[in-house]
Amino acid sequence: MAAPLRIGMRRSMRITQKAFFTECIMAVVYEFVWRMLHALLHLQRTLLSWNWRLWRRAMTAVLVPTVFGFQNHPHNNKKLIPTGGKKSCCRVLWKSDGKSLEKLPLHIGLLIAEEETRYTDIANLVVWCMAVGISYVSVYDNQGIFRRNSSRLMDEILKQQQELLGLDSLKYSVEFLNNSNDKPEQQVLSCQATVKVLSPDDGKTGIVTAAQKFCQLVEQQQKRSSDLDVNMLDSMLRGTKGMPDPDLVMKFGTVDSTLGFLPWHIRLTEIISFPSHINITYKHFFSALKCYAGCEQRLGK
Amino acid sequence: MSSTEQSKTKLNQTPTTQRMSWIHKGELTLIERLSANILKAGPMPKHVAFIMDGNRRYARKLHVERQQGHTQGFDKLAETLRWCLNLEIREVTVYAFSIENFKRAKDEVDGLMELARQKFSRLLDEQEDLEKHGVCIRVLGDLTLLPLDIQKLIAQAVLATKHHNKCFLNVCFAYTSRHEITNAVKEAAWGVEQGLIKPSDVSEFLLDECLYTNNSPDPDLLIRTSGEVRLSDFLLWQTTYSCLVFQSILWPEYSFWNLCEAILQYQLNHQALQKARDQHAEARVLQQLEADRCCAADLLQQTGLGKPVDPQLRQEALQKYTAEREERVHSFLTALQEKRDRFFTDLNKGFIASAKA
Repeated sequence: MAAPLRIGMRRSMRITQKAFFTECIMAVVYEFVWRMLHALLHLQRTLLSWNWRLWRRAMTAVLVPTVFGFQNHPHNNKKLIPTGGKKSCCRVLWKSDGKSLEKLPLHIGLLIAEEETRYTDIANLVVWCMAVGISYVSVYDNQGIFRRNSSRLMDEILKQQQELLGLDSLKYSVEFLNNSNDKPEQQVLSCQATVKVLSPDDGKTGIVTAAQKFCQLVEQQQKRSSDLDVNMLDSMLRGTKGMPDPDLVMKFGTVDSTLGFLPWHIRLTEIISFPSHINITYKHFFSALKCYAGCEQRLGK
Repeated sequence: MSSTEQSKTKLNQTPTTQRMSWIHKGELTLIERLSANILKAGPMPKHVAFIMDGNRRYARKLHVERQQGHTQGFDKLAETLRWCLNLEIREVTVYAFSIENFKRAKDEVDGLMELARQKFSRLLDEQEDLEKHGVCIRVLGDLTLLPLDIQKLIAQAVLATKHHNKCFLNVCFAYTSRHEITNAVKEAAWGVEQGLIKPSDVSEFLLDECLYTNNSPDPDLLIRTSGEVRLSDFLLWQTTYSCLVFQSILWPEYSFWNLCEAILQYQLNHQALQKARDQHAEARVLQQLEADRCCAADLLQQTGLGKPVDPQLRQEALQKYTAEREERVHSFLTALQEKRDRFFTDLNKGFIASAKA
């Protein structure tokens, strides 16, 4: 091989090696910077979550004896039993809070996207919903934990209802629906709120079941495929209990996703997020309702 | 200069040819490239969906015509597609026009249809560019609701780019998710009517394949601009385990940094969402197995062998049933794809015929 050609080839090989080496170094640098950035963001998120929980707990511990005295804090040894007067004061306050808003959601979904769950806090949220005037409340987690422990949740809700709303708690009676096919767990005379416990089975699986039912009707020649429209499928999915679509979903946890919550029903649902449901206060719950009241739905127009 | 004035100046400076193009020409600045490289060290979304909200509010803010807002919105889409290509995000789905938007004032709807006419015609002029970048355009929605000439333009664009496979742009036009899901169930029912599948074959997987988005994976990331925090009937089925990012910026003001912020959010959620998705996939497999087992057991009973006790027999029946079901589903999906292709080719034939006339 001619000498200039050999020199040329060696030079180009050196340049290629140099470029390759630079690229490797840069890849390591980028990865390092990325890891640092994510470490910082994770730290920020963890601190926010701790701060949220600790601050809520601190506020509860400080305010509870002095102001309302109604939170039965699991870490307190003293059981703070509110007097009848204070409970009725809360009840009236919450009811008037609800009336003061421009619009109130008819149905609120409580989406718990956290590993740790505290039934007392969820029960508080449900009771606040009822007190403020919400007619339908759903509780959901993407692993079906609440579905499997629905009686425990129900007990907790009834207990908190008694704690927070006192003597008039019978007025705020609750109908529990575990399953669209089941009869209500507790039959009451004057039903003011309906609580439903949901899991991913009520989402896509529900749509698949409705699809199979329709296909069976088509197979039996009771319907044609062209007969199906959005309204028909909607009424099939709503079932006999006919809960309205959730107007508002309160999502608790740092995961930014609906995690399979009623995909068909949330087409116009506002989604408001909180870092955690643990030690959630009424103030934050109500701030979400205020946010909902302020939002404008143009419905495509 | 206030941001409103800056936006107005930019509006007047952008050359018409660049404004019309579907994918902006141009590369990232050095800082943008560095940031992109840092982001790419972590998991990147392969499919991003955008709800491009805020065009009208932007127009009001700048005191210009609504139509200008929509045109700027399209321009921003072209820019965003360029950024996505630079970030190696190969698939983008956008919510261009909802069925609900037909409720708007006639002049606005007509203006949007005219914009669509211009853009899809322009697309046909840019075929070389699209081939060079390997861009496949799909239009998802109930296209029969659109004016016939737009349907034909769309058909041409879709057929012309059908075999490109480097990157994918899905434009949701005359679309709502509920219509899409209802249509998927109708297609499954059509399959039953044709004797291709049984009602018990209908599963989550089958409905996935009957949706308009059957050729795309579920979006990893959904971004909605203008501060609204709802899905507005967009990809409700497909985004159950997607990372949802709601940003308050108006769509025509969207920047590369907004996109980076959204991707960072995706990266923070990646592990948790992957875990949830995997759990759901496992549950789905078990559900299907259980359903197959029931059907196979029913079949054995029907063949008059009484209650099948022999586990070996049951296992064989299950395997046979599963294989047959998969075969049925496969032929149904092939027939469905042919039906869908015929819709576009028929439109295209009509287009060519009317062009020749």
